[in-house]
Amino acid sequence: MIEFFLNGKRVETDESPDTPLLWAVRDTFKLTGSKYGCGAGLCGACTMHLEGQAVRTCVLPLAAVAGKSVTTIEGLGTPENMHPLQQEWVNASVPQCGYCQSGQIMSAAALLADNANPSEEEVENAMAGNICRCGCYPRIKQAILNVAAIGVDARAAELAKEVS
Amino acid sequence: MNMATDTSRRQFLKISGLAGGGMMVGFSLSGCGPNPVSLAEIEGAFEPNAFLQITPDNLVRFYCPRDEMGQGVSTGLATLIGEELDIAPWDMEILWAGVHPDYANPDFGVQGTGGSTSLKAHFAQLRQVGANVRSVILEAAAGTLKKPVSSLRTEAGHIVAGGQRYPYGDFVGLASVLEAPENAPLKKPNQYRYIGRDFPRIDAIAKSTGTADFGIDIDVPDLHHGVVRRSPVAGGTLRSYDATKAKVVAGVIGVVEIASGVAVVADRYWAAKKAAELIEAEWDLPELAGVSTDKQIADFRAGFDVQGVTTGEAGDITKGLANSQHVIEQEYWAPYLAHAPMEPMNAVVRIEHGEGDVWTGCQGIGAAQGLVARFADLDAEKVRAHNTYLGGGFGRRATLTHVIEATQLALATGKPVKVLWSREDDIQSGIYRPSSLMRIQAGVDDQGQIAMWNAKRVGGNISPHTVGIMLPALFPNVPDGVVDWISDVAHGTFEDWVVDGSSVEGLFEDYDVSNTHVEHVTVNHGLPLTFWRSVGHSYTAFAKESMADELAWAAGVDPVEFRLNNTKNNPRLNGVIQVAREQMQKWDVAEGRALGIAAHHSFATDVAEVAEVSIENGVIRVHKVLCVVNCGLAVNPDVVRAQMEGAIMYGLTAALHGNLELDKGTIKQSNFHDYPILRMNEAPAVEVVIVDSEEQPTGVGEPGLPPIAPAVANAVFTLTGQRLRSLPLKLA
Repeated sequence: MIEFFLNGKRVETDESPDTPLLWAVRDTFKLTGSKYGCGAGLCGACTMHLEGQAVRTCVLPLAAVAGKSVTTIEGLGTPENMHPLQQEWVNASVPQCGYCQSGQIMSAAALLADNANPSEEEVENAMAGNICRCGCYPRIKQAILNVAAIGVDARAAELAKEVS
Repeated sequence: MNMATDTSRRQFLKISGLAGGGMMVGFSLSGCGPNPVSLAEIEGAFEPNAFLQITPDNLVRFYCPRDEMGQGVSTGLATLIGEELDIAPWDMEILWAGVHPDYANPDFGVQGTGGSTSLKAHFAQLRQVGANVRSVILEAAAGTLKKPVSSLRTEAGHIVAGGQRYPYGDFVGLASVLEAPENAPLKKPNQYRYIGRDFPRIDAIAKSTGTADFGIDIDVPDLHHGVVRRSPVAGGTLRSYDATKAKVVAGVIGVVEIASGVAVVADRYWAAKKAAELIEAEWDLPELAGVSTDKQIADFRAGFDVQGVTTGEAGDITKGLANSQHVIEQEYWAPYLAHAPMEPMNAVVRIEHGEGDVWTGCQGIGAAQGLVARFADLDAEKVRAHNTYLGGGFGRRATLTHVIEATQLALATGKPVKVLWSREDDIQSGIYRPSSLMRIQAGVDDQGQIAMWNAKRVGGNISPHTVGIMLPALFPNVPDGVVDWISDVAHGTFEDWVVDGSSVEGLFEDYDVSNTHVEHVTVNHGLPLTFWRSVGHSYTAFAKESMADELAWAAGVDPVEFRLNNTKNNPRLNGVIQVAREQMQKWDVAEGRALGIAAHHSFATDVAEVAEVSIENGVIRVHKVLCVVNCGLAVNPDVVRAQMEGAIMYGLTAALHGNLELDKGTIKQSNFHDYPILRMNEAPAVEVVIVDSEEQPTGVGEPGLPPIAPAVANAVFTLTGQRLRSLPLKLA
C-alpha cells in the first residue's frame, strides 16, 4: 500500500509500486487532466508537481512518491478559480488542440515559483521539455512573461478581486 | 464564456454516453421528421434543425458538425451560426454532433473534417440556419407580444421590444409550431458583430484547466484496457505467439488474437502494457521487410527512368527549352513522416445487448460508427458514436485502426475496452506522409520569365489507401471481398492510368508558365500512406519554391521580384508576395543572418513566408518568420494567426528534424528522442499579416505549412551558398 498526498488530500493505492504515477492518477484517482504523450519523459504532457518541482510522471514510479505531495493541473486551479497562468492562457487563446497544455502550465507554474522573473531564455530553457505539436510556443512564452511581469501573487489577487 | 454551461456540457457528454444518447434516427432540417434522439432530451426545447436546440431557459445548444482538433473549428462554426442567430458564440453550449447525413461536410458529402474545408464549406449553410431560426423566433415573439415583427430586433439571444428584453427561450413554444423560412435574409458584412472579431477561443478554459475531455479520458463502468502487439513491418501477420508470461500478470483478463496482431486486455492500462511486452510473437512479414531506406531511395531514383503517367500538360516544353536562357535541372527529396499528434490513437468500444457505443476523437465520426458496425456485425443504427476533443489530428485521425482493435477486443472479452497506442506504436505502426523524390527541369528566358517547367515525381499515392480505409468504414455492409477488390483496382488505377492529384498538387501550378509537363511514377514499397497536414503541398512546395529561387539566382533577379514577375496571372498569390516585400524592405536583419522567401497557393489560400535564419554551431537556426496570408474573410482573425503560427512550427519540425527511415521494413525511429519535434528553444517568433478580404473564407489549417521549408532553405542559400535539396535540411 502506497500513501501520498494528491492535491492536498491523503490518498492510498495498492497498485504495484512500479506503476508510473501518471497511470495511478488517471486510472485509479480519475484525474485525467494530466496526459500520456510518450511514456519516456520526453514530451512533458504528464507533468505534475512533486513537492513543488515539475516532474515527468509517465516515468516516475509510485514508489518514489510515497509520503510526498503531488499536485496536478486539477490542484493548480479550476474553471471557476483559475491560476493566473491558466487565466492568461485563456486570455491569449494559447491552446489549440489543448492536449499538452496541462503539462505546459504545470512546468510554467513550477518555473515561476522558482524564478519569479525569468528572462526569455530562461523561459525557453525551462519549457524545452514540453512538446506542443500544434506549435503554440510563441503564445506560451508570451503568456508566461506576461504573468511574470505582474507577479503570480499580484495577478492572483487581481483575479480574486475581479471575481468578487 | 459561461463556466456553468461548460461544466454542464461535459456532464452531458458523460451522461449521454451512459444513458444511451447518440442513436440517430432520421430527421430533417425542416423539422418535419422525428427528433434526433442524440439531441439531449430537454422538456419543451425548440429543435428546429440538426444544429440547434433552444430551451425555455434560453440555453442555446449548438451541435458542432466538424471535429475540433485544435484548428478552432468549434469557435469558428459557432461564430457563423451565432452571428445570424444573434447570440454571442461564447454564450452557446457546444456539443459534438452524432452521426447523421445533416452533419455532412458540404464539400465531402459525408461527415469528415479535413482539407482545410470547414469554414468555407459551412459558411453559407450555418449562417442560413442561424438566420432562419432567428426569423421564426422573431415571428413567435411578434405573435406572443402582439407587436409587428418590424418593431422588434434581436440582440445577444434576446428579443428587444421597445425598452424590454425577452430571452429567446420565452418564445420557443410557439416557435416550435411555426414554419421556419428557408431563406431568411442574411446580414451584410458591415452588420457583423462576431464575424471578423477577435475573442478568446471558446474551448480555452476547458483546455487550460485539464477539464476538456479527449478520447483518452473517456471512462465507463467496468472499463478494461487493451494493448496490442502489432507486426514490426506494416502488412505483416501473426504467425504464432507465446503469452504464458503475459497471462499471469495481475489484472490481465485475456490475451486475444485480432486482425492487427495479438492483444492483452487488463483491468488497468499499466498491467496491459507490461503484459503485452512479455508476449513472444512471430510474424509472417511482407515484401516490405526487404526494404531499407537505401533501397527505397534507389528504387525511387530508378523511377526517373520509367515512362510515367502525364498530367499538367500545356504548351510545348521543347519550345520552352529553346527559349530559355538559363536551364536548371535538380532533384528534391522528402522522407516519410509520422503525424505524431500529442494524443496517441485511442478508442473506447462497448458492445452490449446487440448495441454498440464508440468514443473516439476522430476526423469523421461516421467512420467510427461504420467500423464498429462492420466488425461487430451490427446495423449502423445500433451503434452510438461519440466524438470528443482531438489531441491533434493533422490527417492522422481519419484512419481508425484503433476503433477496429477496440471493437474486436470488446467482442472477445465482453467488456468495454479502451485501446491506447503507445508513442512507439504511433511512430512505428502508423500511416505516413508519403516520401517523394521530385525532379524539376525549368528554364527562364532573357526577360526573367519562366519559359518551361518539366516536373516528375516518384513515390506512393494516398488515394488508393484512402479508398481502402474509408470504404469499409462508410459502407459497413459492403462485403470484405468487394472492399479488397475495389482497393486493388484503386491502387492499379493510380499506378497505371491516372495521376493521384494529391501526389503532385502544388508542383507546378503557381507560376505564369505556358509550357509545362508533369509526370508521375508510382513506386510504393507497401508502407500505408495518408494525408499529413497540407498533403502533397508539404513536399511539392519545397521543390517548387526551391527551384523558383534557383531560377531567380541563375537569372540574376532578386528572388522576390522574380516571384512577382512570374505570378501576374495569379493576383492573390502576387498580392501576398507584394505585402511580404513591403515588410522585408523595413526588416532590420541582424548581422550574420539572412532572409529567405517562399510563396504557395494551397487549399484555395495564398501564403507568402519570409524566414530570418542564421547558422549557430553548424545548425540552422530560424529566428523570425513573417507570414502573409490571404484566406478570404477571416472569421476569427486570432484563430487564423494561431493556425499560421502552428503550421509554421509543424512545418519547421519537418524542415529541420522530420525523418523516418526504414530498416528491413521496420520504421527505425520510435519516440521523440529520435523523431524530434521542434521545442520552444528552437521556435521562431512569428508575425502574421492577414490580407483584408471580403471574399468567402478559404483554407486556414494547412496553407501556412508549405512555404516554410523552402523559405528556410532559400535563406540558408543566401547565407552560406549551400543549396539544400533534401529534407530535413542539414548543412554539409
